[in-house]
Amino acid sequence: MGKSHEKLLNNLEELRKAANLTQQELSESAEVSRKSINAIENGVYVPSTVLALKIAKTLDCSVEEIFKLP
Amino acid sequence: MTFFKRFLVLFICGTVQVFFATYLLLELLGVGLSWHLMNHDIMFIPGILVFLGSGYLTLSYYFLSDEASNNALYDEFTALRYYKLATAGYVINGVGIFILFSVQDWQNWSFELANNMIYQIAAFAWLIFGMLLVWFSIGDYRESKSG
Repeated sequence: MGKSHEKLLNNLEELRKAANLTQQELSESAEVSRKSINAIENGVYVPSTVLALKIAKTLDCSVEEIFKLP
Repeated sequence: MTFFKRFLVLFICGTVQVFFATYLLLELLGVGLSWHLMNHDIMFIPGILVFLGSGYLTLSYYFLSDEASNNALYDEFTALRYYKLATAGYVINGVGIFILFSVQDWQNWSFELANNMIYQIAAFAWLIFGMLLVWFSIGDYRESKSG
């Protein structure tokens, strides 16, 4: 797990890099700003359900593979 | 619309508001300034800027920008920043209005003093609104570059 929010652990950075995507590319696919993706990766921001599902769809994995409760 | 253009619009509106609101508040509180605005018609400038700025932002959202730009500019993380600043604004305004009530001359209360207090509250709220615009614009732009 990467740098994570106190209420939500995430693997986003590793999974994004494994998918060969930049933050910008992922943000365009998930229909948010690049800074939102950066904030999620750094544990600054907990995404909404819709955004989490969009990210999971882009990375072709389940939401549970990206996010976990501590 | 880009993050930089939004920064420019909000920063200019905010700083102009802060200048005029600070001037007005100091005048109303009786702080002796060494200079005064000669032409009070220019007090309309911040209002006109907000009108033009919000009009430009609205037009750009509905007619001048593509969907990808709007998705990035108005996403949920930006909304969270806005909510946090709005909450800070409510708190600061509440404390400020309480202080303005506390410093009034209640022993010699008159319609003139009541009128003056209403202007003080309006100028203070205006100042806080301007400061929040500046705060939002700087934080939003910095995050878009390196956040």
